[in-house]
Order: sequence, then structure tokens, then C-alpha cells
Amino acid sequence: MEKMSRVTTALSSNSITGRTMFCHLDAPANAISVCRDATQVVVAGRNIFKIYTLEEEQFVEKLNLRVGRKPSLNFSCADVMWHQMEENLLATAATNGAVVTWNLGKPSRNKQDQLFTEHKRTVNKVCFHPTEVYMLLSGSQDGFMKCFDLRKKESVSTFSGQSESVRDVQFSMKDYFTFAASFENGNVQLWDIRRPDRYERMFTAHTGPVFCCDWHPDDRGWLATGGRDKMVKVWDMTTNRPKEIYCVQTIASVARVKWRPEKKFHLATCSMMVDHNIYVWDVRRPFIPFATFEEHKDVTTGIVWRHQHDPHFLLSGSKDSTLYQHMFKDATRPVDKANPEGLCFGLFGDLAFAAKESLISSDTNRKPYPGGDRRYPIFFFKKPDPTEQFAHVSSALSVFETDLDSNRMDWFVKTAQLYLLSGKPFAELCDHNAKVAQELKRPQVSTTWTMLRIMFSDPANLTAPGLNHNLSKLGPMPLMNSFSIKEIGPGVGTESRLERSKGESRQDNIHLDPGNSHISNNEENEETEGSEGQAEYMFIDAELDDDDLYSMEHDNQAEEQEYTLPQEAFQLRHEIIDNPSAPEHLQQDKADSPHVSGNEAEVTCLTPIESFSLISISQPLYNPHLPASFFCPIVREMLSYYAEQGDVQMAVSVLIVLGERIRKEIDDLTQEHWYMSYIDLLQRFELWNVSNEVIKLSTCSAITCLNQASTTLHINCSNCKRPMSNKGWICDRCHQCASICAVCHHVVKGLFVWCQGCSHGGHLEHIMNWLKSSAHCPAGCGHQCEYT
Amino acid sequence: MFVARSIAADHKDLIHDVSYDFHGRRMATCSSDQSVKVWDKTENGEWHCTASWKTHSGSVWRVTWAHPEFGQVLASCSFDRTAAVWEEIVGESNDKQRGLSHWIKRTTLVDSRTSVTDVKFAPKHMGLMLTTCSADGVVRIYEAPDVMNLSQWSLQHEISCKLSCSCISWNPSSSRAHPPMFAVGSDDNNVSCGGKVQIYEYNENTRKYSKAETLMTVTDAVHDIAFAPNLGRSFHVLAIATKDVRIFKLVPMRKESTSTGPTMFEVQIVAQFDNHNSQVWRVSWNITSTLLASSGDDGCVRLWKANYMDNWKCTGILKGDGSPLTGLSGQPTAMSTMMGSSVQTSQNAINGMSAGRIGKRAPFAPPLRQLTSPKTYQHPAHY
Repeated sequence: MEKMSRVTTALSSNSITGRTMFCHLDAPANAISVCRDATQVVVAGRNIFKIYTLEEEQFVEKLNLRVGRKPSLNFSCADVMWHQMEENLLATAATNGAVVTWNLGKPSRNKQDQLFTEHKRTVNKVCFHPTEVYMLLSGSQDGFMKCFDLRKKESVSTFSGQSESVRDVQFSMKDYFTFAASFENGNVQLWDIRRPDRYERMFTAHTGPVFCCDWHPDDRGWLATGGRDKMVKVWDMTTNRPKEIYCVQTIASVARVKWRPEKKFHLATCSMMVDHNIYVWDVRRPFIPFATFEEHKDVTTGIVWRHQHDPHFLLSGSKDSTLYQHMFKDATRPVDKANPEGLCFGLFGDLAFAAKESLISSDTNRKPYPGGDRRYPIFFFKKPDPTEQFAHVSSALSVFETDLDSNRMDWFVKTAQLYLLSGKPFAELCDHNAKVAQELKRPQVSTTWTMLRIMFSDPANLTAPGLNHNLSKLGPMPLMNSFSIKEIGPGVGTESRLERSKGESRQDNIHLDPGNSHISNNEENEETEGSEGQAEYMFIDAELDDDDLYSMEHDNQAEEQEYTLPQEAFQLRHEIIDNPSAPEHLQQDKADSPHVSGNEAEVTCLTPIESFSLISISQPLYNPHLPASFFCPIVREMLSYYAEQGDVQMAVSVLIVLGERIRKEIDDLTQEHWYMSYIDLLQRFELWNVSNEVIKLSTCSAITCLNQASTTLHINCSNCKRPMSNKGWICDRCHQCASICAVCHHVVKGLFVWCQGCSHGGHLEHIMNWLKSSAHCPAGCGHQCEYT
Repeated sequence: MFVARSIAADHKDLIHDVSYDFHGRRMATCSSDQSVKVWDKTENGEWHCTASWKTHSGSVWRVTWAHPEFGQVLASCSFDRTAAVWEEIVGESNDKQRGLSHWIKRTTLVDSRTSVTDVKFAPKHMGLMLTTCSADGVVRIYEAPDVMNLSQWSLQHEISCKLSCSCISWNPSSSRAHPPMFAVGSDDNNVSCGGKVQIYEYNENTRKYSKAETLMTVTDAVHDIAFAPNLGRSFHVLAIATKDVRIFKLVPMRKESTSTGPTMFEVQIVAQFDNHNSQVWRVSWNITSTLLASSGDDGCVRLWKANYMDNWKCTGILKGDGSPLTGLSGQPTAMSTMMGSSVQTSQNAINGMSAGRIGKRAPFAPPLRQLTSPKTYQHPAHY
């Protein structure tokens, strides 16, 4: 018998050619079947029963088997099968319960041959014996299977499944007498054709109906079953008890399953619900389809491989009234679109990376095999067809942890925790923050803080902005007097600003001049005074405006004088090259002003290291008239720069520390944006306290309301133990203050801790101390309070 | 610079996505084996799988975390045409003892008729919103009107992108100056279909999302797309994984107050790297958006960083299995994970002067340190 089956397919040597093509049917198809030599296909449905020939480029309708004016219900086919040995013989299963055979060799138009009307309900499946010409099997909704001998008028045997409707019957390829039947209750039965009284074996294959089954074509005793539970299972039937060896999970109920010819592990499935696609699976990799055909617009009802020994052509019929021939090479390969890698940056700069193992251990990097046989891999990779490779794959997951400080986010956390944003004088905040930045090895940030202090702080207003006043009023004076009037004044001056400042400061010129001349030499004086001045004036900084500065100017003239000389020197030198760069030196100079005192050598060595591009604006010339606010555009620019560099922390910290000095310069939307971003970051790092502090210190209304939302405390009065209804601290009912410390009997301001059992509480410290020595409530209520 | 810590993921098929949670202490992986695993970091930095469950009946393409304000919530999407929302519930005490947690499905979103290729939660300030995109080119935006009830999601928007979508990314900016915006990438292979990255923006007046921009220069299949964390910038930075790595800058043009149309963007390409020499599958930004990581078919992770001039350079190459990358480092140093050291030193040389002058914090580790860093992981020779 096996010999015979081989003989019937011997013509497979003539290779089939063709392309992906389709034709429109007049009606939805229910089932299709091909003839033995793969040249014709029959399409059957409720309103269609036609034979098409498969030509190179197209389907050609050859024969319409639905004849007669009023076709009987016998033509309404649920299933069709073309005999694999007798090429004129077809069988159909009719929805009215009839089993009909057709003989194409008949000369008349009506090719109907035999008619068996033994089933009471729809026949779901007909199946010819693979090697026996006259043996036909049917399975019906009525729960019976019948075996027909086509030479007789009636069925030769009836098999009762003793259970629900039969969905599929299939003769075994391996065993002449055996067939499998699948049922709606999830069972699969194995029958011996000679013993209609009782099934040989039965097992539960699926939960819910088993819609289809298919024997493996290569005599292996493998049976594939598909069910409404969306699974395809492969059973090894050779063992005593059927063993599930593979299980494929599809995305919709499985209506048809067909093993792919010549490919041991491949099978094709389609669904009659929801899903229109045809999938080809490699059962060894049951999670992802090996190939997909996505042409149909409605559910696919019938699939068949065109030739028993050709894995490259698949035919399908559909409810969308089309008949397709799919070329395997045109199939979609879902795995090609599937991402083989996953990559994600963690919060702390660590990187999680998952990748297909074959990608990360490619041949070039693979270590020599333990055996040392280097030819082995070459042999191993010599595979015939790379497109048919679909072996099991897996991914390697690893986490890369950085130990580079700048990548890890430690600096952010430390900075957030250590920065001081309020509660101290401005200059101290700046100094502190500069120190923090310095310790975290962020010199640029540190320098920025230092410069901010100089720009905005009070002593700086006295030494720096104040100094600037003097620079223009005193400083430039000798300069102007000595040469700018002679050289620049007449128009040689390249800087209009210079002239302006000169002109405007001329009024002060006269009365300042004397001071200028007589203090020019007390450098030591200045040094000490400068530093002291810094400490003294820090506390008044915020309130100072220009007027104050002007008024103080006279007190400080003495110190300022000394700066004029270095400035003069630099001014001269840099005017030649580039004006804006000159003040940069000054800036540096001032940063260290209390002790540097214009030592040129020091200044020059400072500049290359510390130069800070954003401050490279000729400020001394502006300063006299716009003392603190003059810096605002620069600072604003700087903050934007930091924000755009990803350091919103700096932007917000400076914003808070500078407060009113800068706030008006930056539009509210941007400020809000920065605050939001920074708070979000802080919360990511679980720095709740810092986050709350920032919220508290911000002046944007949208931000400050953040910590007033979504937390409600319901409190009871500690005296009368009834809920406090109003928002104050005085209880409505007993008119007592609710927040009195039970230990010291004073009103608690700040942290208040109370027992949830008796509502008594007080200062955190007091309660802690009390409960160290006593287990009972300090209020004397007798409650055993617990402090955890 | 980096130390590789290998984790036995034990997924039975490809892992398609890895995702850290908001605080960086949990990690979720999803795989073609239809399962999602959740990993928790222990005190000593090791990752332990605390949950593993079957999520879908097809390959799970992506997994993503919701903002913790909404609870411990995950969303996954799959080849089975659905997306699902999962919530961790505090399990039985003996579960806890075994270090396991329990995740239950809150909802299944079944609107797509094709594979759902990406799922992302919208930025927190927009509320609890979830976006999916699918292979048939539809982006769907769902909203949970009641954040306490994760089983009710209403489909708010359905946007057709015409091209098969592969990835989606929300602009994370919380600024009121930036209307909600997302970018969609398409893995359509047809180069003639035009730009494969589309940017959609919410219009307050029409209450609809409309296309604001198409990146016409990206014509090849796009596999991943990621907006950089915004952190108070006025512009947006977008990284794209296609046949190469690209970084785009989208600068919103000043809008006239009267105009109601979508924001116009000035699109600048900031960087383009084909160092992977193959398809690039993933891009990911670090939290400060100063560092971009990309991974490609070459099995390497490459790190990109901009210098002060906004010139992007490669600052590191990490091999997936922690083995040395031959050919680049010159001498195959003994089992070191510090890849691309030569690249770095040359970088230092180039940037040395400017970095010093600008006083910026040194972006690169001194080369010497790399040699002393420990190698903690050896790739076992199994296959």
C-alpha cells in the first residue's frame, strides 16, 4: 500500500511552476480539493461547485458541476474531496446530510454518480481512503461516521462516536485500517475500519470543539489537531497513550490544519473566525508563525497544498469568493519584522539589553570550540536553504551597569540633596552650592555659582557691581583722561559703548577724581576691607537697588581704586584684539578680586582654565547703569543653556536661589516647564523631600498647588475626640486648641505626632522621649500608645 | 566603564522588549513565548524574576510601565491583535515569602484587526492614557476616565497613518507651551512611500490629533523611535532607529497667537550614524537625554553623546555577551567589557582642549581606569 501511494505521486518529478495568483468565484467557497496530478482544483460551497484548471498564469474555469435550473440541496457542499487515485472521482458532503459522489467521466452534463442520504444532519467531512479506490468515509453533525463502498448503494458500516458531532474524519497514512475522528466535545477517537462497534482509542485533545485533524504524510504516526481553543497540537499516536509532543498557540480558533509536504515540522492553519490569514508554523517554534499569507479579505475556509510532494504552492478558498494560489516565497515572514532586540536605559544610567543569541555571539567572536575542531562550524552552517531555517531561538538578557560617574546619576542625587536653596543669605547659598558642585567634580557648575554670587550678591554689588560703578566712574576716568579722550574720544574708539559710558560718567568724574588720586596706593587696605565688606553686606543684598548702590559708592571708593590699574592695562591690550573678551578677564579678575588685586600674571593664568563663554560680554561698560539687572539676560541665557544641556537641576536651583533677581526675566511658561521637569526628575529618584522643598519655594502658581492636591488629613480633636470639621486648629465643639502637646502643653508648630488610637500627641521629640519611659499616653487617658 | 551582568531570562523565544519602570528598580521583559516577566532589583543590585505569566496568545512585542502614581501597572501588546493592561496586586503572604507577585489582567483592548506593534502610556500630566499602534497603520488613543478603575478604557482617538506602524513615542514635555504630541514610525519597506516618521499634534480647537510633520528624509523602515526626555527644553529631540541611527531636532516655530493650525517645526537632522552597518532595532535615551543608546543587527550597543558644540559622537560600544569587540580595540584585551576604549581616547584627544577650556565636567573616564575595571561576567560557551 505504501508502494502504491508512492507510485501515485511519482510524477512529482515534473516540477510545478506558477506564481501567486487568484480568481474570483461567484460565491463563497466552503472547501477545496486538488486532483492527484495537481493540475485541477475543485471548489465547493453552498452556491458553488466548480472545477478550475491551474495554468501557469491563471485559473481557468473548466467545469461547472452545478447543473439544472433548480439545483437541489445536494449541491450545497460543506466539504469536497477529490480522489487521490481515481482522477475522475469526487465526493461531496452536503449540508442536508447527503453524501454525493461525482464521476467526471460521465458523458452527460450531470456528473452525479452516487447519492447516500443516510445522515440526518449536515455532513461535515468526507474522506476517501488513500489507497483503496472504493472506500469513502463521512462524518456528520448527527454524531455518526459512515463507511461507504462505492460499488454498493448503502453504507457498509456505521460508527457511533457516542458523543457529540463529528467535525473531521481522516484515514491514517500509516495504517490501512485506522482512521481518526474529531468531535465537538474535544475528543479524538481512533477507529479500526473493521470494528464498527467500538473505537480503539479515545483521548481528549482540546477544550472545546476539535475542528480538524491531519495525519502526518510521512508515516510517522503523528496526528495534528486544531480546536476552538486556538491551539494546534501534535500527538504521537504510536505510543500506548497518545502523547502531546508539540503545541502551537495561534490567535484564533483553528478550522483547518494541513501538514506541509516534504517539511517534517511544518503545518498550515487557518481560522473560520476573526482571522483571515493563513499561517504556516514550525511546530518546534510554536510561538511565532514561520510564514503568513495575508491575501484574503474574509475568513479562509479551505486550504490545500497543491501537490503532495511540493511544499511551495498552497491553494486556498475563502468566504470572500476568491480562490488563491500562494507561492511560498511570497509569504510574509513575521519573524523578519519581529524585533530581535530590546534596549532600555535605566534611571541610574544602567542599560538593559536583550538580544537574539545568534546576533551577539556571531561566528567571528565565537570562542573556539572546546574540542578545537574548527571545521565543525563550517560544516554546521552548510544548510541548503537559508529561507527555510527557522530553528528554535532564544535571547540573552544582560544589564550593563555603568561605573562612570558622569553616566551614573549619583551626581544628580547628591546635588539635589546637598544644594541649599533657601534659608541662608544669598552669597552663602551660592558659596555652598559652588562647593557642592566642586566636590562633585563639576567645575563649570561650581564656577557658575561663584559668578552668580559675584554678579548678584551684595558685597559683590559693593565690590563687583559697586566696583563696576567705580570702574566706570573712577576706573575708566583716568583711562579716559589719559588717553581715551585723546585717542579714543576723537573717534578712534571702536566701541560706541565705550564712548557712551564715558560720556555718561563724565558728570561723576569731577567729584570722584580726587578720591581716586589719593587712595590709589592702599592695596593692603583694600584686600582686607574687600573680604570684610563681603561678609558684612551679604544680608542686605536683596533690598538694594541702584540708589543704594550709588549712595554706598562713596564709602567704597577707596577699595575700588586699585582695580583701575589692571583694568587699564587689560583694556589697552585687548582693545586691539577683541573688545568683548576684555571684560571676560575682568570678570575673572573680579571673581578673585579680594586678593588678586590685578596681578596680571595671575589673571592670565586664570583665563584659559576658567573662561566661561557665556559671560564673555563687555559688562564693565554696561554695568554702571544696569547693575544687577544687567546680568539678567546673560543669566537667562545661561539657564536656558543648562536646561538645554539636560541639566534642568541647575536651571531650577539658580532660579530659586536668585529669586526675584531673575524671575521677571524668564517667562512663566518656561519657569513652570523647568519646575515641572525638575520635580518629575526628583520624584523619579524618590527625592520626595527635595521635591517638596522645590515645590514650596517655587513661585509659579501651577507648581505651588502641586503639594496641596490629593492629600487630605482627617483629624479628630484631641480633647473631645470628635472630627474636626473646619480647617483651623480650634475645635468647634469644645473650643479648645487641638494641637496642644500632651507633654509640654504648648501649642505645636511644625511636626506634630499623634496617636491614632486616642488622638493625643504633641511635639515629636517630646512624645518620643515620653514613650521611651512609659507605654501609656502622656495625656493620661490610659491608652497604650505605640510609636513606631 | 560598563560592567555586564548577565541575567538568565529563561524566555523560550526571542525577547522583544525590555522596559524599566519610573524609578529604575523594576524591569519588565516580553517575549515571543507569549509571556511577560517582571524583574526586581535587590539591595545588592541583582535582578530577580518576581513574576512570569502568559499574557497573550501571540508574540508579545512591547511592554511598558505606567507612571507609579497609577499603581504598578503594565501594558503589553501582541501579534494576537490585542493590547492588555495588567496590574500587580498584593499577593498572598506565602507568595510574598517566595518573592513572587501576582499580576492580573485589567483589560484587553481588541479594536485592532492586525498585530498591535507598540503600546505606550501618555505622559503623566495628560492623565491615564494609553496609545497603541498596529500593523494596519492605525494609532488608537485610549483613556481611563477613572484612574482607580483600570478595567474601563474608552477609545478616544483613532488616527489612520496610512502606513504600517511599528513604533510610537510620546513627546514627554509637560510644558503648556507644547501641545500633546507623538511620533509614529513605520516599518514599511517600500522606499517610495515617502517619509516613514509622522508627527501628530493635538489641536485644542478641533480636539483632534492632526499631522504636524512628516520626516521626509527617513524613507527606510523604522524600527524604533524615541523622544528624548524634555527637561525644560524649548525644542524636541527625536531619535530614530532605521537602517542607521538618526537624531532629529524639532524646533517649534513661533506661532502667531491667532493661528489655530498645527505648530510648524523647523526640522534639523543633528546626527546620522551607520556604524552598526545593519538594521538598527532599538534606541533609548538616558534620563537626562545626554546619552543615546542604540542596538543593531551587529549585536552591539553603541552609545552616543553630544559635545558642547552639539556634535554627536560615539562614546562606547558594548557587546551583548560582554566579549571583547575585535577589530576596534586593536588588541583583544583579556575579557574586558570596556569596549571602544580606543574610540574614547581619541575622543578625549579631540575634545581635550575644548573640554578643558569650557570647564565642562569631564564626559569621559580616564582610559587608565578602564583597564582596572573588573570583568564580572564570562560568557559560557553554550549554544
